[in-house]
Amino acid sequence: MARYIAQRLLQIILTFFLFLALSYMLLEAMPGDFSQLFLQDPKLTLAQREAIAASLGLNRPPHERFFRYIGSFLRGDLGVSFQYYPRPVVDVILERAPRTLMLFISSTVVSFYVGFFVGKLLAWRRGRVLEYITTVGGVTLYTVFTPWFGLLMIWLFAFTLDWFPIGKFITPRLWRDAPVEANVVFNRMLLTALVVSIVLLTWFILTRRIDTRRRRVVHWGGMGLGLAVVVGIWGASGLGPYALNILHHLMLPVLTLTLISFAGTMLLTRNSMLETLREDYITTARAKGLPEKVIRDKHAARNAMLPVVTSLVFSLAFALSGGVITEGVFSWPGMGEVLLTSAVVQDIPMMMGALIFTAIFALLAHLVVDILYAFLDPRIRYG
Amino acid sequence: MSETILRVENLTMHYTTRAGIVSAVDDVSFTLDEGESLGLVGESGCGKTSVANSLLKLLADNAVIKGGQIRFKGTDFVPLSEEEMRPYRWRNISMVFQAAMNSLNPVYRVGDQIIEALETHLGLYSHAQARQRVTELFTMVGLDPALMDQYPHEYSGGMRQRAVIAMALSCNPDLVIADEPTTALDVIVQDALLRQLKTLQEMIGMSMIYISHDIAVIAEVSDRIGVMYAGKLVELASADEIFHHPVHPYTVALMSAFPSVTGPKRELQTLAGEPPNLLYPPSGCRFHPRCPFATEICRQQEPEFKDHGGGHYAACWHPQEVTV
Amino acid sequence: MATEERHNPFATAQPAGDGTTLDQQERERLRAQPLWRVRLKLLAGTLWNNWKLFTENKIGLIGLAIILFYAGLALAHPLLMGRVWDPLIYDPVIGFDPLAAPHPAPPSAQHWLGTDPLGRDVLSQLMFSTASEFILGMVAALITVTIGTSIGALAAYFGGWIDTFFMRLADLVITLPAIVLLIVLGGLFTLDLPLLALVIGILSGFGATTVIIKSQALTIKVRTYVEAAWVAGGSHWHIILRHIIPNLLPLTFLYMMFTVTDAIFAEAILSYFGLLNIRMSWGLMIHTTQSAGYLLNFQTWWLIVPPGLSITLLCAAFYLVGRALDEVVNPRLRKR
Repeated sequence: MARYIAQRLLQIILTFFLFLALSYMLLEAMPGDFSQLFLQDPKLTLAQREAIAASLGLNRPPHERFFRYIGSFLRGDLGVSFQYYPRPVVDVILERAPRTLMLFISSTVVSFYVGFFVGKLLAWRRGRVLEYITTVGGVTLYTVFTPWFGLLMIWLFAFTLDWFPIGKFITPRLWRDAPVEANVVFNRMLLTALVVSIVLLTWFILTRRIDTRRRRVVHWGGMGLGLAVVVGIWGASGLGPYALNILHHLMLPVLTLTLISFAGTMLLTRNSMLETLREDYITTARAKGLPEKVIRDKHAARNAMLPVVTSLVFSLAFALSGGVITEGVFSWPGMGEVLLTSAVVQDIPMMMGALIFTAIFALLAHLVVDILYAFLDPRIRYG
Repeated sequence: MSETILRVENLTMHYTTRAGIVSAVDDVSFTLDEGESLGLVGESGCGKTSVANSLLKLLADNAVIKGGQIRFKGTDFVPLSEEEMRPYRWRNISMVFQAAMNSLNPVYRVGDQIIEALETHLGLYSHAQARQRVTELFTMVGLDPALMDQYPHEYSGGMRQRAVIAMALSCNPDLVIADEPTTALDVIVQDALLRQLKTLQEMIGMSMIYISHDIAVIAEVSDRIGVMYAGKLVELASADEIFHHPVHPYTVALMSAFPSVTGPKRELQTLAGEPPNLLYPPSGCRFHPRCPFATEICRQQEPEFKDHGGGHYAACWHPQEVTV
Repeated sequence: MATEERHNPFATAQPAGDGTTLDQQERERLRAQPLWRVRLKLLAGTLWNNWKLFTENKIGLIGLAIILFYAGLALAHPLLMGRVWDPLIYDPVIGFDPLAAPHPAPPSAQHWLGTDPLGRDVLSQLMFSTASEFILGMVAALITVTIGTSIGALAAYFGGWIDTFFMRLADLVITLPAIVLLIVLGGLFTLDLPLLALVIGILSGFGATTVIIKSQALTIKVRTYVEAAWVAGGSHWHIILRHIIPNLLPLTFLYMMFTVTDAIFAEAILSYFGLLNIRMSWGLMIHTTQSAGYLLNFQTWWLIVPPGLSITLLCAAFYLVGRALDEVVNPRLRKR
């Protein structure tokens, strides 16, 4: 498996440099000049303008500029944002990226889980009416015009039912006398989520081999205990209400993004399940007199998951697109929102920074999916 | 002989397809005694596998048993629901499938797939005990017990087939149905496996149904042989009878299509034509379009499946009295 | 005659009057025709069979009905503008109805879907935009399919570094969220409709479509008729053009449908965020609503619901047709 992962890693690095080259070509192809916008200030004299241009390397030949571009990227220098001047782009990204990660990861995990579960059931009971309703509903959710859907969600859950706040990250009134900044609380939340998932995963792996009948109790007990500990620690720290406030703001965007991306997984799982159900080992499982639920979950769904995980790569890009739009609609101050505003005001360094961030993130997610796949498929794990 | 454990009477099974109804199994009757082995032989598509699957009611969504009875130790399987069938599957009747290559789940260790059956049917929840049993089974079929912790893709074709056999024997079933158990293997492995199956069967004293298109394979391991053609059982008799006094022209044709190493030299004959499309089965005797002895009555009336003396059943208007 | 019957006893069960079988007669008749006519006939037969398979799936028909409905709207708009509607009031971009004030006015007999904040008729805008959505979708899909088919066929046929390069490129395009890239492009360039169609066509052409078509082409490459053509001395181009590409067509047609969905969706998103230079579109209608401050005013639903619903429905319709075609092209998904 190490070879497989190394190979994928190499491919991904290759792909990333292809991306850097293409993104540089985009900048070159842009009408006018990269820093024309920056130099438009009429107060600058011609000499000053040329000095800046020279310092930016604009008077150099293209290939030299390209190496400059790569070089400054490798040094972690993505330039200075126009709209947040004089903040460096990297600074803005570091502040905003965790918020996007939180939104993206929670909705991806939930939508994968729910989509897989529903798709599995759909393939198992192929009722005509139910199938039409869920397929049409699923496709509609998958192709729904995201901003419009976001508005509908706001109308339903924020206006009519008044369950969630309309948008943004926090309620300013509540945070006026807060002991710490919102970002600190948020990063701690992210850390908590990470630690909890790692601990739970370890727990599940460790208890995999125990007696079938007792395993369920142990699993659920462990999960409950973990959650109780988390709630206890946050309650004791005194930051609980603030964390809840952020969580409250997070709910509606996550719900929206989840609904949009779950349909894809659902439809895919259904198709994959239908193909798996024709495999010979499913007949074997039936002949073995196993209970229906075991055949469905342990034999069929486990195999049907493989192609679904493979195509997670496609759905990740889809969910990232959806995430950008959702952030725009809910004014969730993450990377997507920064990307949108910088595109509108033509803050080119920020925009390119967001694009590079997205590319790195997407490629890393790609790698994670590949590793996950290798773990799920013994033919690769022991290949 | 001993007690009859399986009695199939007038079993009829249909597939509903886009093009129409396919009668894959039509009015098939036979019995099976304890410890006996029965061979079912016929060209591909003649309904052998459909019979096997019907016995366990492992039916595709579009298949339905139209009539008849499957009495196993007195219980008729036909009216039973899927859930009521479950305890009989594997515990009483198990199967070795045609495509052994794919009948193991690729994502689980082979041993765990056997343990799963032990847990379900024998309530063997203790991991240590279950592994003990798998070790026994692996030794029995000639596999290294250390292999139980490997995945199917790490096995060779012959090893997989042995593992599948071990799995079929895991719950001490009364009857094992082996559906073309050796087709995908090379000849030497095939032969070794067949012998082993036969030995195991005699050792455990279970009954067996072998299914194959190869009458030579069947003859080696079966006490009695049933010949199927186009969804019908056309001849059923002891292996000896079938070989020396075949009654049905189809049986005769089948046998002359296979070479015999020990017997006298003779010319191999192939049977012209293809088995009929079961969407539109021919009228009368289903074999008549390919039968060299066909007459008017064959085209119009279906022959009765009747005893031609000494438990030698056949369905033919012109029973052959040839000696091969 | 006798052997004929033995080989296929059931297809030739009834002998025709002159002693030959129907099968033979059919063959004679086919032989008498020029080759192109036989091919055309076979093609028509295949199309008819596929159409029957397609209609078995009600979901595909729902999609087709929605597409036809919107095509009707697009065609009706110029007629209405020419004969029924006064261009001064109903023009989708510069029209204004002074009598219906204050704007936005709710739906009425004159304005079935009300007016927008600038006093323009919403229905007219909706219908006017439909045509450009179709054109955009079709152009993008054609570009996608042209690129995807040729690159996919080439990569599969030649393999080697051509394959490696295009597959890495496809990897990149697949991994990068298209909307993010389009937003960046919208920031860097002045995107208009033809340029957008080109960009979407190129993006999806070099992305998933190529990968899928390549894998299909690989399976075709090893089929016996390709080997036969190769043995018979067919050139590379002959084999690619005459054997591989024609067999890829059903699949490419399928991916056209999905590209149309993506194109319409991308256009709507870019117009909604104000990153597209366009006179009128469904996305722009919502953008106008937003800039006029009516976005979160849910009393003026007629400003948001018609364009939002239209984008959703048309995207879904092409997607549904694509899925139904998938079941035609890909028999494994079919119900028995």
